[in-house]
Amino acid sequence: MIQRLAATRNASRTIDDGDRSPLKKPASLLGALGAPLFAGLAISAGVLAGPSALPIRAATAATRPTTASAPVGSEVGIRDFAFVPRTLTVSVGTTVTWTNRDEEPHTVTSANGDFSSPGLDTDEAFSRKFTAPGTYTYFCALHPHMTATIIVK
Amino acid sequence: MAWAGSGLLWTAGGGILSSRSLAHAATGDPTPGDFSFVQISDTHIGFKGEANKDVIGTMQQAIAKINALPAEPAFVLHTGDLTHAQKAGAFDTVAENLKSIRTSRVFYVPGENDVFADGGKEYLNRYGKGTLGTGWQSFDYRGAHFIGLVNVASFKAAGLGNLGPEQLEWFEKDVERLSSSTPIVVFAHVPLWAVYPKWGWVTADGEQALSYLKRFGSVTVLNGHIHQIMQRVEGNVTFHTAMSTAFPQPAPGAAPSPGPLKVPEDQVRGLLGVTDVTYVERQNHLAIVDSKLG
Repeated sequence: MIQRLAATRNASRTIDDGDRSPLKKPASLLGALGAPLFAGLAISAGVLAGPSALPIRAATAATRPTTASAPVGSEVGIRDFAFVPRTLTVSVGTTVTWTNRDEEPHTVTSANGDFSSPGLDTDEAFSRKFTAPGTYTYFCALHPHMTATIIVK
Repeated sequence: MAWAGSGLLWTAGGGILSSRSLAHAATGDPTPGDFSFVQISDTHIGFKGEANKDVIGTMQQAIAKINALPAEPAFVLHTGDLTHAQKAGAFDTVAENLKSIRTSRVFYVPGENDVFADGGKEYLNRYGKGTLGTGWQSFDYRGAHFIGLVNVASFKAAGLGNLGPEQLEWFEKDVERLSSSTPIVVFAHVPLWAVYPKWGWVTADGEQALSYLKRFGSVTVLNGHIHQIMQRVEGNVTFHTAMSTAFPQPAPGAAPSPGPLKVPEDQVRGLLGVTDVTYVERQNHLAIVDSKLG
């Protein structure tokens, strides 16, 4: 980024009525015409934390434990722009699963960069196995006011 | 605060706002001025929630509204969240649709939905030409200076919108050379002023950025992100947030969360729209018209 900045530091430019350059038409646009626009689950370019952190499709609501209220095992719900429970204590070796119950996408992103889910759509879930004791603070990369903690003992 | 759909034309002169009916814009009686431009925001292509099942349709309505303006806007500013969480194909859909806007060009700044998944790689590939860093830029148009800032590139836990030291340094230098009488228009996704920090509707170092503009007689700050119109005047600075073309969000604190506001289908278009800004040279007037879709 430093090199890029140096190269274009004086990139401030002037446009006037003579500047009638057409809107940018990305080269990839033509290739996309006629293709399904929103194929599949459309989780793109998500950042995974490794084999222990995999996004999974949640089971149907009817078969999943409710996550709306008190802590239930190793499940964390995401509802109304909040992680529920906000603090979850588990033992070493536990796999924690987060499920997004909001209409908006959310992520489960470690505050120190250790792990991150891709964007989770409604009813999508993300799991991570905690193999070392510690306090893990995480947040939603889209809505950073959403924060929560996993305590591993 | 002015709510979306109230249909007011705002004229800023010497830091004082006055308003008149939106009907002036709708009936082909444009505000007299040297040029106008349009702000469009939060198209959220890829959103499929209950709040709006047809975000492509409402974006197209916004484009039709722009194309029906009495005078072709000099350019269009898109203040971010082009896509909804970088859904596959969403950037293509945005580009394909925006080709039909009657204007010379469109300037962009990203929203967090456009950059969170890949650190802004795809966004910069498409819109980074001529910009710096994570996509910030400036340009002059007929005596006014426009600055596009990026405040969504480094979200941290419990954090807020953030510009960062590198961008701030560039911004300070960018305006240094300008005379104090130059009208300034700043556009960025997350509001640069504290709309509602509890929901992250603020830029942590926005105040520092605005301190570089204190000597200027006319400063207009255009933001998106909160999907509703809000106005605030502070000294020489007029702050304005735009409606989304996709779905409305609740007023600060009016709901448990800032999630999409579900309103009856026949009312939703009244809460979506575009912003038309007319600049009057010499008088340093910026007239801001918010135009709803329905």
